[in-house]
Amino acid sequence: MVSQLLAQTIVNGINVGAIYGLAAVGLSLTFGVMKILNIAHGEFLMLGGYVAFWLLTLWGLDPFWCLPLVAVALFVIGAISYKLLFAGIARFHEEIRVKNSLLIGFGLFLVFPQIARLLWTGDIRAITPSYSGTSFPFLSVHVGYVPLGGLLISVTSILAVHLFLTRTYWGKAVRGTSENWKAAKLMGINVDRTYFLMFSLGSALAGLAGVLVGLTQAVSPDVGMEWTLKALIVVVLAGIGSVGGAFLSGLILGVLEAIGAIFMGPYAVALGLVIFLLILMLRPQGLFGKA
Amino acid sequence: MQTANLVLEVENIDVYHGDIQALWQVSLQVGDGELVSLIGANGAGKTTLVETIAGLLSPASGTIRFQGVRLDLEPAHKVVERGICLIPEDKGIFRGMSVMENLELGAFTPQSRKAKEETFKLVYGLFPILETRKAQIAGTLSGGEQQMLAIGRALMSKPKLLMCDEPSLGLAPLVVKNIFKVIQQINQSGVGVLLVEQNVRAALGLANTAYVIENGRVAGHGLAKNLLDDERVINAYLGTA
Repeated sequence: MVSQLLAQTIVNGINVGAIYGLAAVGLSLTFGVMKILNIAHGEFLMLGGYVAFWLLTLWGLDPFWCLPLVAVALFVIGAISYKLLFAGIARFHEEIRVKNSLLIGFGLFLVFPQIARLLWTGDIRAITPSYSGTSFPFLSVHVGYVPLGGLLISVTSILAVHLFLTRTYWGKAVRGTSENWKAAKLMGINVDRTYFLMFSLGSALAGLAGVLVGLTQAVSPDVGMEWTLKALIVVVLAGIGSVGGAFLSGLILGVLEAIGAIFMGPYAVALGLVIFLLILMLRPQGLFGKA
Repeated sequence: MQTANLVLEVENIDVYHGDIQALWQVSLQVGDGELVSLIGANGAGKTTLVETIAGLLSPASGTIRFQGVRLDLEPAHKVVERGICLIPEDKGIFRGMSVMENLELGAFTPQSRKAKEETFKLVYGLFPILETRKAQIAGTLSGGEQQMLAIGRALMSKPKLLMCDEPSLGLAPLVVKNIFKVIQQINQSGVGVLLVEQNVRAALGLANTAYVIENGRVAGHGLAKNLLDDERVINAYLGTA
């Protein structure tokens, strides 16, 4: 019985953790590449959840099939936000850039939930296709179709980002830019455009995570900050610049929280914050980051 | 003045770092396939000048032309596409990436990417050590190897004009000799070189012509071998031995 409970808890933790990982990768990219800490990352995630909610309720589109549409929509929203708000601070020195990006992100954190309230009211919405809640038995545990689908989507997206960064010319240019933007310019890389694309991509990844949040949990206009915090914890746990590390750290956090919930109940949420502090004190470069 | 042969023409540029003026009415010319040295004390404005040509800084006034095309309004990544490549003073190595990836990024511009395979051979021919270390993370190379990588990476962009900012900085004398030899070889293959150097004797020995920069102004220029005998240059930079 106990082993079965533990196994089920770990499976649930992995499902949640995969979303943590996906939410964190976008944040890690924008912070790692352009030293912009977008604390409105969770708001982009929230918008992604609502876009999928709309697509399902208005047009009956299956949430899994509309993932590419959500990604495109959030890419555009991210692109507009970047051009209007963040691009202006890109020319500043890194430290000033981080500080100003916090202010802009905080502004978006105030504005986006209000827009969401206008469009979708303050109700908590879940994305519920016909097959949500169904599961199949696997060994001694139950595996839900929706969480399994979410896990596959997370793994695929993160693998795609990883391959993009390590195998393609553009991805290498992104890594070069994050290491030394001045040298990147001297190589003929358009650094401004790289920043623009990476911010938009980060927003698109947040949108994908938002769909999974809507499917497995629920979205409300104020859900953003919670997810920004989760993503931030995962980024700190993983260290900057490691896409695979961010995903693994997401899984670690998800499983720890799930197991913690057995013993600590609702206080398990604090586990993430404890990890956050411990990592900053003991291993500030993160588990997978370079010193 | 044989304008037809001139590749790079810098005319009366003023450059500011914020409110502070760093260059005053600087003019400079590099001919086709020429090796030009830029000498002067620390803080004289040599780095500012090459960074302005590379497009990292923009002049407040004056013009920069390359093969007759105005460059001073272009961003840095466009300047590279025109065929000017700067190796910065800190070498600008992508330290967390492999040697191979560094070289690949050197050939980022569309026209150089097409010729990538060929240029790889050329660079590995000049620096065999880079081929044996191609999978190594660049930050773990020695100082001399990093300078070789920086030069090799610059060559990957197939430059018509190569600007080297203090390539000898912090390197052992034997390595410096080797680096200078390679720069000379590159120049003899038809690439124009603008060399910024503290090592004045070596810089003048390599160059056809040279410019002396003092306090952000061109204090003198001429044939390098004449400057070697110039009393002011000897007193200021070579010492009276």
